[in-house]
Amino acid sequence: MTSTTPFVQISGLSKAYGGVPALTDVSLTIEAGDVHALMGENGAGKSTLIKCLSGVLSPSAGEVRVDGSILAPGDLRAAERAGIAALHQESTAFPHLDAVDNIFVGRELRRPGGLLDRPRMKRETQALLDRLGERIDLNRPLEELPLAQRQMVGLARALSQRSRLLIMDEPTASLSTRETEILFRIIRQLQSEGVAILYISHRLEEVFALASRVTVLRDGRLVETRPLAEITRDGLVRLMVGRELLAEEQSEDYAAQGEAILEVRHLTRAGQYHNISLDVRAGEIVGLAGLIGAGRSEVATAIFGIEPPDTGTVAIQGQVLPPGSVPAAIARGVALVPEDRQKQGLVLPLSVGSNLLLAVMKSLTTRGFRSPRKEQETVARLMQGLSVKAAGPAIAANTLSGGNQQKLSLGKWLATKPRVLILDEPTRGVDVGAKAEVYRLIRRLAREGMATLLISSDLPEILALSDRILVMRQGQIAGELARQDATEEKILALALPSGPQEALI
Amino acid sequence: MTTLRDLLTRQREYGVLALLLLTLAVVGAINPAFLKIGNLRDMLVQDAPVVIVACGMTLVVVLGEIDISVGSQMALLATVLGLLTSPSHAHWPVATAVAAALGLGTLLGLINGLLVTFGRMPSIIVTLGMLTVLRGVSLALLNGQDITDLPVGLRVFGIGTFLGLPISLCTALVVVGLTVALARETPLGRRIYAAGSNPEAARLAGLPTPRLKLFAFTLTGFLTAVATIVHQTQFSVIQAGVGQGFELLVVTAVVVGGTSISGGRGTILGSFLSALMLGMVGSMLIFLRLGVSATYWERAIQGAFILVAVLADHLARQRRPRREAAP
Amino acid sequence: MKLPRGLPGRQELVLLGLLIGLLLLAGRLAPDFLTARAQIELSTHVWELALLALPMTLIILTAGIDLSVGSTMALCAVVFGLTFHAGWPVALDAALALAVGAAAGALNGVFVAFVRVHPLIVTLATLAAYRGIAEGISLGVPYSGFPPSFAFLGQGSVGGIPVPGLLFLVALAAVAVIVKFTPLGLTLSAIGYNETASRFSGLAVTRIKLWLYTGSGLTAGVAALLFAARRNTAKADIGTGMELDVITAVVLGGTSIFGGRGTLLGTVLGVLLIHETREFVSWEWSRDELNLIVTGSLLLVSVLADSLLSPKKR
Repeated sequence: MTSTTPFVQISGLSKAYGGVPALTDVSLTIEAGDVHALMGENGAGKSTLIKCLSGVLSPSAGEVRVDGSILAPGDLRAAERAGIAALHQESTAFPHLDAVDNIFVGRELRRPGGLLDRPRMKRETQALLDRLGERIDLNRPLEELPLAQRQMVGLARALSQRSRLLIMDEPTASLSTRETEILFRIIRQLQSEGVAILYISHRLEEVFALASRVTVLRDGRLVETRPLAEITRDGLVRLMVGRELLAEEQSEDYAAQGEAILEVRHLTRAGQYHNISLDVRAGEIVGLAGLIGAGRSEVATAIFGIEPPDTGTVAIQGQVLPPGSVPAAIARGVALVPEDRQKQGLVLPLSVGSNLLLAVMKSLTTRGFRSPRKEQETVARLMQGLSVKAAGPAIAANTLSGGNQQKLSLGKWLATKPRVLILDEPTRGVDVGAKAEVYRLIRRLAREGMATLLISSDLPEILALSDRILVMRQGQIAGELARQDATEEKILALALPSGPQEALI
Repeated sequence: MTTLRDLLTRQREYGVLALLLLTLAVVGAINPAFLKIGNLRDMLVQDAPVVIVACGMTLVVVLGEIDISVGSQMALLATVLGLLTSPSHAHWPVATAVAAALGLGTLLGLINGLLVTFGRMPSIIVTLGMLTVLRGVSLALLNGQDITDLPVGLRVFGIGTFLGLPISLCTALVVVGLTVALARETPLGRRIYAAGSNPEAARLAGLPTPRLKLFAFTLTGFLTAVATIVHQTQFSVIQAGVGQGFELLVVTAVVVGGTSISGGRGTILGSFLSALMLGMVGSMLIFLRLGVSATYWERAIQGAFILVAVLADHLARQRRPRREAAP
Repeated sequence: MKLPRGLPGRQELVLLGLLIGLLLLAGRLAPDFLTARAQIELSTHVWELALLALPMTLIILTAGIDLSVGSTMALCAVVFGLTFHAGWPVALDAALALAVGAAAGALNGVFVAFVRVHPLIVTLATLAAYRGIAEGISLGVPYSGFPPSFAFLGQGSVGGIPVPGLLFLVALAAVAVIVKFTPLGLTLSAIGYNETASRFSGLAVTRIKLWLYTGSGLTAGVAALLFAARRNTAKADIGTGMELDVITAVVLGGTSIFGGRGTLLGTVLGVLLIHETREFVSWEWSRDELNLIVTGSLLLVSVLADSLLSPKKR
């Protein structure tokens, strides 16, 4: 497998954005046929490194060599010709185009004369999809296809580029277990064909399952590159965080709880969820588990009033909420920390202070007018309580790291003094250090009496935090597990569609 | 089984076609003179410029931009064309003047495109500014005097025929055919739709979005020149006020035809059918014999069309269940 | 309170600079132009534009737009003229005109806020529809002959300041106070930057949008009445092109067409600059076309400069 010249050699790569270094003097090599994992906290520089490799960005210093020859920096086409393809985290599909166009646009197959060679493109698309085990209607625009199929088309596009280095950035973030399984099979197949894979993921289990070597970045610098056989899970985390991980300690015993604060009865919306009933008591953390697409976020937004249900009621401390009104929900003490903090949770161009005030502005007014004093006090108090690392409340929210943004997205609700807190994927894309802080915060709030509904796809997270776990499957509640009985297997058993048990990896 | 409502809301082109045929049928029933060849031909000829420019505008809107300066472009192009060919002014040979007009139209479109792409300005603002400036320039050139002596050699574009069909009609059909081919069968066309569908993904895929937008705006400018040449030459006079409200007609045709202002979606065919339908409104009001005052309602009806179209879109969105949900 | 980061400071300074430059130029070429009397007389042309620029600023702040203000003006004017000629009392006619304006705005608001159509498309449609209705119900007939008590609204002055000017100043003060000292200012900015997150934060986005467009329509009604009072005529073609002037003034004033950032001060300066430029060109050269060219170029140059000077992506 080894030759004298490594397949991809990165030397002294640095990149600074207007004086702020994102990557400093990073060097590593990637061998053909290897799965090389790239890990690090958010803001560690992984994203920047990928963009330099794939030609989206031009590095400030250093070079990348492929098979010994220097790769032209900042040149997407050059990277493509060198055989580098990237499967990005954000959606890279074109929703209005069909699967064939999605795979070929930019690299269309042509007939002599310049027109498109549709039959050939269609045949090749079909072949690619067959390889992935997907049957897709090639005539429909992508937006009419289910989410999982869309992801597969994205994967097909990356594969169609016959690359020699495939960069995958959190590829399983939105995939079901079955698709993840297929993905892993494809990866192994590619490996045997000599394709190198640079695999970025926060999921330690995946990294240990797939990769042979791992590179850890921290604060833009290379910490270490090690074969995975020589490192443990904790050791890896320690490399990323630089300190022992404290999270996931079992919390105190099932604390005495009060009465039901949140009562949901028979919530139904056609095509999304059906007959959802649940209770959350004061001081209780109820986990809501399930596969992606099971309808959990939809239930959350329905309770909060973003999208009213067709039928069903939501009651807070016995009083029924008027459906479809977010201000009414907030007034009665409900808070929702949404799934997508950038699009739903924060107004990024605004300052940190403004973001913290958004939900609570109205209640801080005196006879309709704003009170700068009250506002400053509230902001200062919140920032301290959350230990948001920022220079001050006036800086723009889009300059914060992912973890700090998440804390902001959560923290803005504390000022409204909610009684019910709904969290939707509170630690997605958050580095290990900030995750621990968020867990501590959630537990503290519960101790103080908060009724919490926790939606998460991170099974260890749900198991660690929840007092009870409800599992949703295809829009309905499939079952309930008490903390002492719950295991990952049992949750999955309830979450997977009925049928013969699929063998996991 | 697809219901009629399905067809109307899902495939906008079918809906517009149905409405078109329905209108023809209903008005024709009330007043058969509406369906006479002469009237149909007149309606189509009147409509030709809208159809021609709507082909380019569709691509502009698919890319997520807009061009409201086409009316003023037409004004300037008509004025220049008149001044260049009129015996009492520059008196150039018709062919040269026509070439100059085509070149000018292309240049105007190019300017719009450059300001939007390299100037990084929002297209609504760019074309708003251009709309004002160009109208001012055309008025200044006219200097208060209409041009009344257009040479016959020029007017043949407007009133002449080719194989029995008016030139404007032939031109419109050719333009539609070529643009449809461009949109569906060329890499350029596919890339335009891709860039409109997901600009960020287009960037990551290495698509040259600025150049695509530049192309769309330039094409629109060129087509505006074509439309001016085959339409304004029908009249013997070129006066101030040419092209007023033209952009509204074109954008209406494009939007009602199913092209979404948020980009990525829309067909040339839809714009074409919708332009035809809108063109019928004025004539329809006359033939329904509702009285002289009825013609004043033409603009109101055009506006109402957009509102109906967007309501139909809304209904379609409501019906489509969220795909992320479990089956 | 402080409107969020952007370039309001710089834009206003540039405008101020341009304004001063223009006035200096006017001082050299035509000193009579700068006398208080001339300025006050000329100011009669600008109050409708200035008034309409207020709700437009707020609408554009939320990343919306209202292309129908000119047509709404025409509709209100025609309603006023029609009812006046039917013999109804002036006050009632005026009230009806205002009600029609508010209703027209509300219809825009319903489509934008509830049906969730892009405001460009809705107001493009109503731009055609409202003017069309005005043409339809008036058949192009101009109405006039309004009583002097009504004309005072447009032609009179109190303490040397024209009545429409007073109206504008009051409106400006009210809007400025509301935007700066109540949560509305930050709310509008948040909606403009990220409407989804604003909804998730409990801001009453739908209700606010509805009120904004209704207010814009109502203001168009006021502008129509002012025009009718000033020129003693109400016809279906008034206000043609007004929406473009208003939007030009607002965008010139530094409000971003994408929403989120903008100031009332900027809008006032933008209106002032357009007004003084126009009046000066008329005064010196009296050619309307020059005005179009200058206004359009001002818009293009100022937005281009702003765009090129700020390296952030748009």
